[in-house]
Amino acid sequence: MNRRWALVLFATSALCLPVNTGAQSKAPDFSGVWGPYRGGRGADPKLAAPPASPLVLKPQYAKPYEERRAAEAAANSRGEPLASAAVSCIPYGFPSMMSVAVYPIEIIQTPKQITVISEAFSEVRRVYMDKAQLKWDDVPPGYYGRSVGRWEADTLVIDTVGIKESVQYQRMPHSNQIHIVERIRLVSPDILHNQITIEDPVVLEKPYTYTLAYRRLPDYEMVEFVCDNNREYVDEKGVVRLKVREK
Amino acid sequence: MNLRVHCRILCSITLATAILLAGATLQGHHSFTIFDQTKVVTLTGSVTAFEWTNPHAYIEIDVPDEKGMVKHWSVELGSPSILMQSGWKYSYLKAGDKVTVRLNPLRDGQPGGLLIQATLPDGRTLGNGPGRGPATPAEGTAR
Repeated sequence: MNRRWALVLFATSALCLPVNTGAQSKAPDFSGVWGPYRGGRGADPKLAAPPASPLVLKPQYAKPYEERRAAEAAANSRGEPLASAAVSCIPYGFPSMMSVAVYPIEIIQTPKQITVISEAFSEVRRVYMDKAQLKWDDVPPGYYGRSVGRWEADTLVIDTVGIKESVQYQRMPHSNQIHIVERIRLVSPDILHNQITIEDPVVLEKPYTYTLAYRRLPDYEMVEFVCDNNREYVDEKGVVRLKVREK
Repeated sequence: MNLRVHCRILCSITLATAILLAGATLQGHHSFTIFDQTKVVTLTGSVTAFEWTNPHAYIEIDVPDEKGMVKHWSVELGSPSILMQSGWKYSYLKAGDKVTVRLNPLRDGQPGGLLIQATLPDGRTLGNGPGRGPATPAEGTAR
């Protein structure tokens, strides 16, 4: 092949390359397994998650919320915890699934879709990249809603609507108009922060923001989690009990 | 309601909520308050089953008393994922093994409890996930 033809071939193949947004090609790769990062002694304070903002509910929602929290605390101190969805092994849904005890999450990143799998209850979220979000009332309310993502420089911004009212984070009430924005970025090569902002024009006086910090677990193999031996149940008084075996 | 009173109520709600939510990004499968964490029971018996399952693993044991009467106990552990973070394997116990367990008993008096520490047939001791028991904890706590 002579030099001229080589140049033509090069130019043609360059034209045929898929259109790239530019931002995507510079996007960091979050693929892999991430466990909760708690900082601790000797850790760089810049890597720890900043504290959450105050939660300010509209007054008509604040009182029932406080009463529910107080009733829960009283029940726990009696050793008779109140029923929750988790007692029946119902998955947490979003955003709770992003931080369940010490369980890790796995991120699978491709240009068109980012998938998040939480080890606890094997929960899965799919984030569709560079797609327009739907109006909240066009999404059937569910556990994970509909998530679309985009890159803003090195930050992955995910927008979620469609979380049903019974799927609550820390028992916070919300309406079907809940709108959650995540801003995910590496604060060091192996520490990831996810700043989660919950907006709800019906229930919240102002947006509530909290941040989760994760550390990379390069060699971790995700463990399966199928809830097939749940021995907890709720008795006739609404109290959580444990079934014990007779033999 | 004047503005000051309104603000006082709103501010106190905000403050109380901020305190309640501080550090509240963790949650586990259930509340551990069904177990009496002020009491510790030590049992030695024979394993009838070691169930490596979710949302919790269980050690089932037959425990003879001093008169030779056998009582059966169900001992709850963390989940397999959490147990593996503190050195457990699914194969460490099997039916027929002799095991000693320390546990926080159920508050309702049934013969069950939450494991604190198990002593395996070969003498090794294992805890109940990071932050519970003697095994080297991974970062964080099991709650």
